[in-house]
Amino acid sequence: MKKQHITSLESLYQHLQWAVEVEHFTIPPYLCALFSIPEQSSNKDSAKIIKSVVMEEMLHMTLAANLMNAVGCTPIISQPGFLPDYPQNLPHSDDHFIVSLGPFSEAAVETFLKIEKPEKKGSSGNAEHYRTIGELYNAIEEGLEYLCKLLGPDQVFRGDVSRQVTSQDYYGGGGKIVVVECLDSARKAIMEVKEQGEGFVEGDSIWDDDAQWGQPDEPAHYYRFMEIAKGQHYQEGDTPESGPSGKKFHVDWDDVYKMKINPKVSDYPVGSEIRTLMESFNFKYTKLLDFLQKAFSGNQDKWIAAVGIMYELKYDAVALMQIPTGDGDTVVGPSFEFSYAYFRSNRTDEL
Amino acid sequence: MKDRIYSDHVVNGQHYDVLIIGGGMSGALIANELRNKGKKILVLEAGLVEGLSETSYQAYLSRFYTQEAKVPNSPYPNNCFAPQPNVMDIEKILPNKPDTKGYFVQKGPLPFSSTNTRSLGGTTLHWLGVCLRMLPNDFKMESCYQRGVDWPIDYWDLKPFYEQAELEIGVSADTADLKYPGAGPDFFGDYDFPMHKIPPNYLDTYLAKQLEGMRYIDDEEEIDVDVVSIPQGRNSNPNVNYIDPRTGKPYVPRGSVSDPYTGQRCEGNSNCIPICPVQAKYNALKTLQSALQSKNVEVQAQCVVSKFEFDENANVLAVRYKHYVKAGDRSGITEGRITADTYVLAASAIENAKIMLASKAQDSSGSLACNLMDHPYLLTWSLLPDHIGPFRGPFTSSGIPSFRDGRFRNKKSAFRTDIGNWGWNFPTGAPYSDVANMVDQRNLFGKDLRNKLHDTVQRQMRFGFLIEQLPSKTNCITIDPSYLDDLGNFRPIIQYDLGNYEKAGFALAKEFSDQVYQRLGAEQYTTYSPSDPGFVKYGQEGFTFHGSGHIVGTHKMGNTKFDGVVTPSQQCFEHPNLYLVGCGSMPTIGTSNPTLTMAALALKTSTELSNKLR
Repeated sequence: MKKQHITSLESLYQHLQWAVEVEHFTIPPYLCALFSIPEQSSNKDSAKIIKSVVMEEMLHMTLAANLMNAVGCTPIISQPGFLPDYPQNLPHSDDHFIVSLGPFSEAAVETFLKIEKPEKKGSSGNAEHYRTIGELYNAIEEGLEYLCKLLGPDQVFRGDVSRQVTSQDYYGGGGKIVVVECLDSARKAIMEVKEQGEGFVEGDSIWDDDAQWGQPDEPAHYYRFMEIAKGQHYQEGDTPESGPSGKKFHVDWDDVYKMKINPKVSDYPVGSEIRTLMESFNFKYTKLLDFLQKAFSGNQDKWIAAVGIMYELKYDAVALMQIPTGDGDTVVGPSFEFSYAYFRSNRTDEL
Repeated sequence: MKDRIYSDHVVNGQHYDVLIIGGGMSGALIANELRNKGKKILVLEAGLVEGLSETSYQAYLSRFYTQEAKVPNSPYPNNCFAPQPNVMDIEKILPNKPDTKGYFVQKGPLPFSSTNTRSLGGTTLHWLGVCLRMLPNDFKMESCYQRGVDWPIDYWDLKPFYEQAELEIGVSADTADLKYPGAGPDFFGDYDFPMHKIPPNYLDTYLAKQLEGMRYIDDEEEIDVDVVSIPQGRNSNPNVNYIDPRTGKPYVPRGSVSDPYTGQRCEGNSNCIPICPVQAKYNALKTLQSALQSKNVEVQAQCVVSKFEFDENANVLAVRYKHYVKAGDRSGITEGRITADTYVLAASAIENAKIMLASKAQDSSGSLACNLMDHPYLLTWSLLPDHIGPFRGPFTSSGIPSFRDGRFRNKKSAFRTDIGNWGWNFPTGAPYSDVANMVDQRNLFGKDLRNKLHDTVQRQMRFGFLIEQLPSKTNCITIDPSYLDDLGNFRPIIQYDLGNYEKAGFALAKEFSDQVYQRLGAEQYTTYSPSDPGFVKYGQEGFTFHGSGHIVGTHKMGNTKFDGVVTPSQQCFEHPNLYLVGCGSMPTIGTSNPTLTMAALALKTSTELSNKLR
């Protein structure tokens, strides 16, 4: 008998906010790995894989935000507590592994596999801690069903539809945005996250159900990272047990910008060039979160500006990775810390 | 799909239902429209198979990054067996001495400076992406203005095909914004585009504000001046109300051919010409990729057509061509011959005409290989009093269409005004040339250099004027066995000049430009020098024009074989199983960039062929 974790709207809101946090949590580590692969590198295949995953994480974060807006609450993004303090456990997980910011490496891919690990059949975690991201979404789906029965769907899905992010504004990766208005569309959104994400249930299939999400056949995230670990693509007919048997590709763990693990602004003296550049990156990242906050709060016109910042962040991160830290081994990298300077300079009525 | 794209010579001696010569936009559109008809279709391409795979498109990009002069064909390597023109080859033409520096043999008196690309995807690889429909009066120049000729069809005949072309290309625009002279409310009707307009850049909004309510006035004309956004073949936010008739679902922007998630929106990389790094800009590779989804469609590259063989009824019997293994390797050349039920000649307007001449094709109209037209492109440039943020976004996103039609067309050319968004890049090579000048000539360095550079570049503005050129029998292509390329094919010999009509258009455009700069309080830097290859004199004034890359009019359509080479469906009057498609079929050029009209014509031809092949 499964346990019902979510029995109130408050608990539903809490879980959805966690979902947004979990999806966001994965983005900085994936981006660090991606940006650490030089443009003209022998690790092009790996870069392509990581890019495809991180784009879908952004989609999942947006889908989680759509779910939240559908039930009438707003995701909280642009606050100091929203940003993880790496190294850190996956939030609301059972804390069995730690995630760091660092370059593309064997260890990083191992961690990514843990993040995207398929859920075990029939497992549902406990009300605060979920073993996999899939379990968290199962709890949300069951909670939605439970509350719809208890209160009636109109009491659950009472959000303003105009706050939904649509395919007008969202683009650029696998999958499709789902406008969430009712239990059916909520299920569809959750299904998409789960299928692309950790590949449904352990042992089932390596593929996400693509025709449905309007994309070519791609393995679910866990299996995409497995391709990097094995240096080989999956092909039709492969199963989780068989492992990949498709085209092999080269993985060179040394052909990277060897970014310092878990850099912090406080590693460098105030006013130093490195610190200033890191602060400037964080300023922009905080600005991005602020713009996304506004976009998720009904100001869709902030999307275009937010996309512009995403491009800038890439250039800035790669520029940081050109600077040696001075330890004779590593280079600087982005720290993804909250920028109080941004909020000091942009105190707006939304705060 | 890959299995049906050949570089090795495999099609020799084969018979096809439809043979399409040229893997550019017209050829791709026709192959794509006919792909599900159960007919065997071959696209024969003179250039290499490049661009469809990520690696080969990346090779174009790498080449572009390392080229010093980022001219339209800079990413696309010249191939001596399928040579292409290059603007770097344009020189002043001396009397009685043809200029043979480039691929074209230029007899002048003026240089023809427009170029095309001979590679799979054709010139859409480097086109700008402007998708303007021709205006109703553009189709009846003779009856309205006693200039040029009338088309055998009118705007309304072409309207449904314009809509179809805008879907296939993926055009971004909002009809509510579009205002053209002589276009009534039915010009678009209740139609709207698949995607919303590309957001206007800062300069567009600045000019719209500064020029609000402006009226151009001279001794003869009074014209209201409007700043209007330009429909673009590049991806923007989809219009949720636009249902794609092919799928019955909302329109989804089509990104890069090798990575569909890249290029779903224009990223503002600011190098549309010569290459969009993410393929947010349409290129014909996208349509070819769609055509190649069908097993009926094959592509054979590296085959350069030399001529047609005709039978006793003047139908095409076969096509003769040469296949090469590697550009420059003479030992790898083999000759080939293919037969087909229907032939579609879909190379550039110049190559189409040349192949017809080489085949000694019949022509009772006397217009084959004549009426070569372009939009002579006049530049003016100035420094504005304000910073206007150039070099962000596409080359141009708004224009001033006010002079595209009007009574003055009986005396002087209509023109379209491009608001250039890349500062003085076109006229002076800015911003790179500014750095060189400030360092070398003005001895600036450090902070002073940075400040001066910033202040100057931020205020750079330029207009480009696309002047309508009238058809003329003496602007023509000829061939001569003394001018052959490395494969033994004829090099096009071009005779090209401008008349007083076009020169009066330059003067009108320049006068308009002066009035605008005056109103803006701009400091003008426009100079035209007699040493410029495209320098022309008009009375006391002199102007320098450039090519627009619009190669039009060498096999005009007509009502009968006595006034045209092709029918309104682009079927050759005198060789009935042959279609000559492309910009060559256009009797006049109007003031719109011709690609959209060419695409609409290709789709019109496809409809006719579809019915015939049924």
